[in-house]
Amino acid sequence: MTGRVCRGCGGTDIELDAARGDAVCTGCGSVLEDNIIVSEVQFVENSGGGSSAVGQFVSLDGRRQIHHLGNQLQLNQHCLDTAFNFFKMAVSKHLTRGRRTAHVVAACLYLVCRTEGTPHMLLDLSDLLQVNVYVLGKTFLLLARELCINAPAIDPCLYIPRFAHLLEFGEKNHEVSMTALRLLQRMKRDWMHTGRRPSGLCGAALLVAARMHDFRRTVKEVISVVKVCESTLRKRLTEFEDTPTSQLTVDEFMKIDLEEECDPPSYTAGQRKLRLKQLEQVLSKQLEAVEGEITTYQDAIEIELENSRPKAKGALASLTKDGSVEDSTSSLCGEEDTEDEELEAAASHLNKDFYQELLGGSVPGSSEAAGVPEEGRRPPALESLLGPLPTAASLGISDSIRECISSPSHEPKDACGDGELDLSGIDDLEIDRYILNEAEARVKAELWMRENAEYLREQKEKEARIAKERELGIYKEHKPKKSCKRREPIQASTAGEAIEKMLEQKKISSKINYSVLRGLDAGGGPPGEDGPPPREHGPPPGEDTGPQGEAARPPEWTSARRLSRRKTSSRRSRPDPSTSAGKRLRPLVSTQPAKKVALGEASLPSAHSLEAERVRPTVVVVESGPVSYHAEEDAEEEDAEEEDGEPCVSALQMMGGNDYGCDGDDDDGY
Amino acid sequence: MDADSDVALDILITNVVCVFRTRCHLNLRKIALEGANVIYKRDVGKVLMKLRKPRITATIWSSGKIICTGATSEEEAKFGARRLARSLQKLGFQVIFTDFKVVNVLAVCNMPFEIRLPEFTKNNRPHASYEPELHPAVCYRIKSLRATLQIFSTGSITVTGILF
Repeated sequence: MTGRVCRGCGGTDIELDAARGDAVCTGCGSVLEDNIIVSEVQFVENSGGGSSAVGQFVSLDGRRQIHHLGNQLQLNQHCLDTAFNFFKMAVSKHLTRGRRTAHVVAACLYLVCRTEGTPHMLLDLSDLLQVNVYVLGKTFLLLARELCINAPAIDPCLYIPRFAHLLEFGEKNHEVSMTALRLLQRMKRDWMHTGRRPSGLCGAALLVAARMHDFRRTVKEVISVVKVCESTLRKRLTEFEDTPTSQLTVDEFMKIDLEEECDPPSYTAGQRKLRLKQLEQVLSKQLEAVEGEITTYQDAIEIELENSRPKAKGALASLTKDGSVEDSTSSLCGEEDTEDEELEAAASHLNKDFYQELLGGSVPGSSEAAGVPEEGRRPPALESLLGPLPTAASLGISDSIRECISSPSHEPKDACGDGELDLSGIDDLEIDRYILNEAEARVKAELWMRENAEYLREQKEKEARIAKERELGIYKEHKPKKSCKRREPIQASTAGEAIEKMLEQKKISSKINYSVLRGLDAGGGPPGEDGPPPREHGPPPGEDTGPQGEAARPPEWTSARRLSRRKTSSRRSRPDPSTSAGKRLRPLVSTQPAKKVALGEASLPSAHSLEAERVRPTVVVVESGPVSYHAEEDAEEEDAEEEDGEPCVSALQMMGGNDYGCDGDDDDGY
Repeated sequence: MDADSDVALDILITNVVCVFRTRCHLNLRKIALEGANVIYKRDVGKVLMKLRKPRITATIWSSGKIICTGATSEEEAKFGARRLARSLQKLGFQVIFTDFKVVNVLAVCNMPFEIRLPEFTKNNRPHASYEPELHPAVCYRIKSLRATLQIFSTGSITVTGILF
């Protein structure tokens, strides 16, 4: 529940009567709400929750919130109705699930504001709700998309009258507004408004307009009204300054409208950056050109030097010459290519059989194709070159050559999900550097401990707390909040069945004896228990305070009471009977004042009532055979009545309240 | 605008996100202590490991799932992921490199002209959404390609897409 507080006495004891459709405070009796929307009591409803009681609850809550927020924004009734329609649509499309109702409500309202064109900003709504504006924006965008509603774009001109009013220009309000509007239109034509918050532009326009009409409005005043940052406003002003319009005088501005349009300021900034880059490039090219010249001189000098040196003879000379030629031509292709080519060629020449084998064995034809032309081209030149060179086998690089050549065949294997790690190309040495040795590890551990000391301390405290609670036996297992799974709507023929199914689904309370609950169905909610037998003790306080009589209650609540009765009876029947009837009656009397006291408390969560009842079994012991069933029923009745007497503890509330809306905050309350 | 090739638009891939599994439980504490380039986020339960060679940042969970971001191409992403797995292997875990999948690619492109966002949104109603109060760009979604484009008024466009 959203924990409503009574306006009269401030108590949180709000009692809801679904039959009469009202919410009443049990403290002072003031009616908080009437006309709660009650359509039909269905148990197959699935909007917002499992059972319909909760479904109604959600729409009820939504309507209240819409009205509440809408009134704060001063929206008229028509807008509020439209917003409520949006909300109902959202609920029917299950968009409220997993989101705070407040967010959805705000988004609906903002949607209405946009479609109607009222000067309300998303910022206003987020101020009211104290929520991050981007979170609201996300919800709003989603809503607009799901409901296929196209919200028209915001025009900053809409905000001018509102802000002008807030800035209090007195009689000249209208004139200033008109000037500001003209300024805005000018800004629009100068492309200052794309991608900018409309409020910032408004602020700038109003500031200038105010100054033009001799009003001293400081930047601070304007920003407090318009809700932008000072630097933003200054930036807008500077941008406007850059436009040619700013050069006009006041009178000129009112009369003339300049023809030319400017580019958006971010675009000009970008262009400036581009231009700078281009300049840099040009400069670097020039540098390169100069460097190129220098290198050519260098080369020329070197060639001269070489020619002057005595020439080497024989194969070696041809080798070096060819080598250098090769290098210069292949330097264009890139180093790796040449290496590969050379390796391949060397392999083909030296390990011809080996290569044939490979070609036959490898899967993709690419290496084959690559290999064959190489082979065709290369051998004549290389044979002469590489003849004297040591063989690949003797060098011991045959393996790596094989790997390099057949690396394309590795990839498909990998992709097959082999699971083996393909180590090709991974430099192990470098990776070794990533691993710290012991001394370094210790230092690092110390550093980390120091940095995260606070977090570690918190963890320790938490554990200590848990250990203590365990000893005391009151440790609650705090399960991490699971995201609410979508539950199927409960199909039930009777109310009792529905509640039973719901309880089964939820399985929240450890205080319910589920076996007995299932037995309930077999018993079929015996009407025998219903007729209130004559009471022996004074009328329990419950009857007076509970405004609803038993008869008036709708069937589901009676069955709920029956359930609670069953609960008490089951709990009481368990402890062994040993005392006589007299004793039993007296303790009941004694517990009554306790009950009265409990009632007196302003807030009586349902847990207390159940706990108090739990206490009673130790006090009140059920007797064996001699006691008539009737008398036992009496006591049960009483207890049940007393229980009822407490502030409207509905079965739902006892089971843990409004969990169905999947409001993340709601705990089970136990 | 001519549609010639001299007005070539270069689209730069700036980020490639990929995931893979190691199929073995990883002891985060050990990685944190012995890795030279790791950040241990204990409160969230993950370790960030950064590699220099392909500049990537990997988020490692104890279940063995690893998310790798920062690569500039798909091959680089795969290469980086493999290096990462190798370094984990060296730390002593029985790593198996499986389920490698590229999950998201981010690219940036620049138009040589500026764009009028409000009109653009009006003309592309269902796909484009523009909220100046929230973000200065138009968010254009292409459902069939599962891509999202953020279009700025200066003409620069950011494209992201989630592949499955």
